[in-house]
Amino acid sequence: MFAAMLLHARIWLASIRYSLVRAMMFRGDFLMWALVEFFWMAANVLLVSVIYDHTDSIAGWSEFEMLLLVGTTQLTQRLLMAFFWSNLFELGRNVRSGHFDFFLAQPGSPLFMVSTRKFDLDGLVNVPVALAIVAYAAHRLNLDPTLGQLALYALFVGCGLVLHYSMLLAIISLVFWLQSAKGIEGGYFGLTEFSRMPREALRGAAAVFFVYALPVVIVSNVPARVLVDGPDATLTLWLLAATVFWLFVAVSIFHAGLRRYASASS
Amino acid sequence: MSALAKYRHVFLTGIQSNLVYRWNFAIRASFSLLHLVYVFILWGAAYSGKQEIGGFSIQATLTYFMLLLVLQYFLSPANDDYEISEEIRNGLINQFITKPINYLGYRLSLYFSARLVTGGLSLLPVLAAIPLLGPYIVFPGPEHAALYALAIPSLAFSALIQFTIAYCFGLLTFWFLEIQSFIILSLAFETVLGGQIFPLDLMPDWLHAISRWLPYYYQMYFPAALLTGRITDLNIALQGLAIQAGWVLALLALATVLWRRGLRRHTAVGG
Repeated sequence: MFAAMLLHARIWLASIRYSLVRAMMFRGDFLMWALVEFFWMAANVLLVSVIYDHTDSIAGWSEFEMLLLVGTTQLTQRLLMAFFWSNLFELGRNVRSGHFDFFLAQPGSPLFMVSTRKFDLDGLVNVPVALAIVAYAAHRLNLDPTLGQLALYALFVGCGLVLHYSMLLAIISLVFWLQSAKGIEGGYFGLTEFSRMPREALRGAAAVFFVYALPVVIVSNVPARVLVDGPDATLTLWLLAATVFWLFVAVSIFHAGLRRYASASS
Repeated sequence: MSALAKYRHVFLTGIQSNLVYRWNFAIRASFSLLHLVYVFILWGAAYSGKQEIGGFSIQATLTYFMLLLVLQYFLSPANDDYEISEEIRNGLINQFITKPINYLGYRLSLYFSARLVTGGLSLLPVLAAIPLLGPYIVFPGPEHAALYALAIPSLAFSALIQFTIAYCFGLLTFWFLEIQSFIILSLAFETVLGGQIFPLDLMPDWLHAISRWLPYYYQMYFPAALLTGRITDLNIALQGLAIQAGWVLALLALATVLWRRGLRRHTAVGG
């Protein structure tokens, strides 16, 4: 077990090293992608700014509380972009083209190989920008988080990364049934829009679905709230349980799809 | 075969190949309803306790977003830029150099066929949701007829602008190996300056004034604003239509230049 984990860790490190060398070979491309991610973050911050030019509160959340929420979502998404996005995005294309065979022939778990082959430095360089948004919002809210709160925040962002990965994997794995991923990755963005929304804004059926049934709201609200209000045992347990549950669901969908895969190459 | 018949065949073939992916479009359209739910909840919370924001009621703002969603499916290119890029990279454009068919006309025919299929399929979930959305849909009355009339050429120009931008990005493959970053960067500008995340009239005045001179404003916001009463001044509407026509011509000219220059760099190989 330990040997297998060590082997996978070494494979991942080798993939990261290869991706870094590649990023430095195509520096223009790297800078362009870093800029792309930066602009998407700026767009989200601008949305908060424009709405709060016309209103003081959204579901009881002030402008800088919303900024904290948006910054937290951006932080998690930048980590996803750095470690997993390209890999899962290409999974959709590779299943259709038959290139997925290549991953099945590699010396590791297919899911691991599919998820970690590439590492995008451009996503990672924007992590400090997302952290700066969170820090600025915390400063404007006069927050003075303890070390414990910061540790919990880091843990929750980690859970958020696993949840985002699980949602993306579950959606992209539909390609095993649909034969083409054309357009379905949009579902991930559709769902994660809700992570930029205060939990209190959702009521009735929307609350049941997006807050309780799917993890799309708690993924950002729980870490943001730990900085504002301090730790909450119920929310902590809820987020941890949701992380384990949704990872299990996503991995199960992937493996069910894998059993259907019959290759597309000649 | 007459010129029109050639492109009609391309259009019909495009419809057939797009129908193969009908489930993908249907899933994508259903997911886009999620975006609408997000918009309803976010703006509903922002309007809480307020009669209007930026001079518009919640119904007017939600109608704007609903219309935008429908227009997006009827007008926004889905994969045209990537397909053009693939055709250049794989040498498939070689056949267009030797055959009597205009590549821009060919791609435009495919664009229209794809938009017809995706637009039609996206309407299904929207129509199914009409009983729920109905109370939020408000359009200006008959006094707005002149602006409705201007919206018709505006929608046609909007389609041409969107297609030509995608076409130009695809042609960049003559110079760059990878064009995805250009496309996504442009998409970020389009999302903000095209009014997709908030109506542009809510932006600070200086930013709104700048956006009126950019093509993004005319991709989606301008026709949607004409149809939903966010633009009511006839002079501003006419001025906007003139700028929009200017962008159509400028982008078509750019596309022609890129195609000609690109072909000079292109090397056709293989038997």
